[in-house]
Amino acid sequence: MDELKKNVTSSAARRRLLFWYGILMLVMGLIIARLFYLQVVRYDHYRQAALSGQLKQYEIEPTRGTIAFKDRDATVPVVLNETLYTLFADPVYVDDAAEVADKLVPIIGKGSSYGDVKSKMETKQTRYVVLAKRLTKQQSDAVAKLELKGIGTREQSYRTYPQGVLGAQLLGFVDEEGAGRYGIEQSMNKAIEGKPGLLKAITDAAGVPLVSNKDNVEIVATPGADIVLTVDVGLQQQVEDLLKQGLDAAKSKSGSIVIMDPTSGAVKATANYPSFNPAAYADQADISAFSNAAFSSPLEPGSVIKPFTAAAALEQGVVTMNSSYYDPSFYKIDDATVRNIEEDGGPGTKNLSDILQLSLNTGATWLLQQMGGGDLNLKGRSAWHDYMVNHYRFGQLTGIESYETEGIIPDPAKGDGLNIQYANTSFGQGMTVTPLQLAGALSALINGGTYYQPYMVESVTHPDGTKEVKKPKILRQNVISSSVSDQMRGLMQYVVDKNNRPAARAGFQVGGKTGTAQIPKPTGGYYEDKYNGMYVGFVGGDQPQYAIVVRVNEPGIAGYAGSRAAGPIFTSVSNLLINNFGVTPKTQP
Amino acid sequence: MSTLGGNVRARRRPALLRESASKEGLLTRRHGADYWLIVIAAALLTIGLIVVYSISPGLSESRGVSSGYYISRQLIAVGLGIVAFVITSQIPISWWKKLTKPLIVIALVGCLVAAVTPLDSIYQAHRWIRFGGLSFQVAELIKLAILVGVATFLTTQWRLGKLGDTKATLRPLLFVLAAIAVIVVFFQRDLGSAAVMVAMIAAMAFVVGIPLKKVMLIGGVILIGLTLAIASTPYRRDRLLTYLHPERDCQAAGYQACQALIAVGSGGVIGLGLGGSVQAYGYLPEAGNDSIFAILAEKFGFVGVSMIVALYVVLFTRLKRIIERLNDQFSRLFVVGFLAWVSTQAIINIGAMVGLLPLKGITLPFISYGGTSLLFLMIGLGIVFQISRYTTYSYAEPKVARADQPNHDNAQRRRVGGAYNPTIVSRPRD
Repeated sequence: MDELKKNVTSSAARRRLLFWYGILMLVMGLIIARLFYLQVVRYDHYRQAALSGQLKQYEIEPTRGTIAFKDRDATVPVVLNETLYTLFADPVYVDDAAEVADKLVPIIGKGSSYGDVKSKMETKQTRYVVLAKRLTKQQSDAVAKLELKGIGTREQSYRTYPQGVLGAQLLGFVDEEGAGRYGIEQSMNKAIEGKPGLLKAITDAAGVPLVSNKDNVEIVATPGADIVLTVDVGLQQQVEDLLKQGLDAAKSKSGSIVIMDPTSGAVKATANYPSFNPAAYADQADISAFSNAAFSSPLEPGSVIKPFTAAAALEQGVVTMNSSYYDPSFYKIDDATVRNIEEDGGPGTKNLSDILQLSLNTGATWLLQQMGGGDLNLKGRSAWHDYMVNHYRFGQLTGIESYETEGIIPDPAKGDGLNIQYANTSFGQGMTVTPLQLAGALSALINGGTYYQPYMVESVTHPDGTKEVKKPKILRQNVISSSVSDQMRGLMQYVVDKNNRPAARAGFQVGGKTGTAQIPKPTGGYYEDKYNGMYVGFVGGDQPQYAIVVRVNEPGIAGYAGSRAAGPIFTSVSNLLINNFGVTPKTQP
Repeated sequence: MSTLGGNVRARRRPALLRESASKEGLLTRRHGADYWLIVIAAALLTIGLIVVYSISPGLSESRGVSSGYYISRQLIAVGLGIVAFVITSQIPISWWKKLTKPLIVIALVGCLVAAVTPLDSIYQAHRWIRFGGLSFQVAELIKLAILVGVATFLTTQWRLGKLGDTKATLRPLLFVLAAIAVIVVFFQRDLGSAAVMVAMIAAMAFVVGIPLKKVMLIGGVILIGLTLAIASTPYRRDRLLTYLHPERDCQAAGYQACQALIAVGSGGVIGLGLGGSVQAYGYLPEAGNDSIFAILAEKFGFVGVSMIVALYVVLFTRLKRIIERLNDQFSRLFVVGFLAWVSTQAIINIGAMVGLLPLKGITLPFISYGGTSLLFLMIGLGIVFQISRYTTYSYAEPKVARADQPNHDNAQRRRVGGAYNPTIVSRPRD
């Protein structure tokens, strides 16, 4: 029996089998222990490692708000969104780049080259290459139909412009990163862009959220607000055309027009030339064309300031409509001489009407002297500075919903040669203003003396349906008294009647003033042969309905830039307004 | 002493000897098979199907095929495997001994065809034979050929009492190992499969009773071969380094190892649930086949995956139990080899997923996606199932039929180890 037992347990073959089996069991036990260590002891560590790889946060892009112009009382969309498709490849899964390129290039069409598409798919180092942008839905569907391995399309929202290039500088554009640049797109970006949503999700390795995961967090994006501008679509279109024609006629390379409702400050049209195409902004060579020069390019305005000087003197009571003075046709101030243009009529007795109609620099200087009690001095300078800055708001931002520049008004008490400097400002030299500032001040000058803040956003419609309608905002009443305002309208009509007959219209008020501004040299002093032409004016019936500012930079034709270059543009615009844009005729003939 | 005792005992039971006098040397009557094998295999196959089905969307997404691709192919593989199992479980064991040479010839032809099959764009190795959309991994065929071939060879050498003979037994074994090194390691670049084959040969040689010194010699040769194989190939060196420092390079060389550890560890105690695996969605490479254990661990957690490991333990134990009760040497060695096959493959695969072993491209037996592996495992299991019909009631060991015994002295017989040891062929049940 003993022997039997021994044989059973000590059989060498069985011992070896048991030895091996024992090792197997040991290893399996080790595996279980290791699993316990990884899954129970180190669970938190690996859970974190897993989440750091798998949990991704995505911004959900909100739909950007639209922008519309006015069409009389209705609105017309000028900036909308369209969904286009970006064609991309994962080169790792593209087996035959040549064959795939052969199939894709005919679908992409214009702007794609076989070699380019092929070589992009051959860059195996990356997992994502863009083959083409802005494909239509049809093109995207055609690509999907091919069922190519490693090729896909992705939706992307783009701005689209139903009115083409119209009002480009007012609108601005949206860059590749989705940020508004220039114009309303930039200044109102916060309202238009909406609030991005958030998706916090467990994703696959390619970043696609796994729908099955119950812990995914999604915050829906809030779309942006829709904006309606005060700009009239028809007027804007025609004003842009008239500006271009006028600049061509004056052989000028650039210019601006601002048309404002003087009873509210609403911008009705703003044209600049040159402009750009917002749908192809990336192709624009000269990026200065992105800026709205009418708002952001302050220049010396010249004689268009004279009505403002006259109104300031009248308002202060230092002159009356009946005042007259002896004009020597030049003044020596400090080391400089104030002269007039050749057609000044020579030395003699002049009154307020003459100062504006003949555009007398000496007359403007005389007005400044009256503000100082008959002499050029600090009192006069300070009084005139107060009017420029605090009444007419020159040298200050208007507060319009767009990028703008404030310009420069010299200090009345600091510096050298203040008397000649201030004499210059009385006829619009040695100071800078933007056409928009001029339009705002002009509106106050002719509307009875109320300064309305210039604006161009009429309403903002929020995604929840609430509509925020902008009301005209009064920044200052009694800029001048309404009687002085009446007198200024009369004087400016007199100037048009005398100097610019084509603009004058029976049964309507049409007033204006030219300006031919000398252009300062960067080195000091002024160019002898370079001028900017300006024209400020208004049209209306019993009340003024449109304030108009025209600027023509460096016209290439002979004669005074104000009357020869800017004047004709003003005339065509004022006639357009009377003919087509609802100017009510005067009730009394 | 023991030799004598055995002989005495055998002589006392002449009936048994007569009964076992068949040429196959089967000493027992056919009886019911070990149905546990079917139960365990069915459980593993079902787990594999369920998991492959549940991660099919993730797998197909990353490979750009339709969502039903993986599960339908796996269903076909399981179907074929079941057919193969049913057939092989009916084939008499004696046939396999006769099939030894044809099997080896077929395996070698397979290697040649694989060698001329154009290289795959992803795997630069001559491992596959392809026709149409199907691919066939030659290594699995070689495993079966080695299993049958070496079992037959060792049985013959044992019967001749030449297990300790360097020339007669050791040299041919070393030759087979060298052939594996050249064909599988060098040409097919498949160190994982080679390791399984070597383990099969080593286990059979060990259990059959080759003297320990010689077993160690074989072990030494294997170790040198392994060192050479790793040192000579950059990617193997990389994998070894990655294994030694797992978080050394999670973005490049160590990516799969790191993602596997993350999958396993993030499963926690109870797992993320059947539909909860995230790592299968493109993070963990080879999620359906070589890395499937990590996905199991992620889905079912420590509790679930321990039960799967336990299933393998039960399978190994069942196989060990069959081995213990076989008195036909060929059958016994065949089951030993099969146990080595399944256990080595499972350990290498799971060991890599839990960071205990370096990564090897090798499937998890009966669970992984992959037709060839499954088919040949089912063939092997079918044969084992057939063999299990001939176990004894109690521990048994092969006995050389008297007619086959060579005429040499007892000292020589003792030297050949356990092969000639006496056994209790049968014992009445208590």
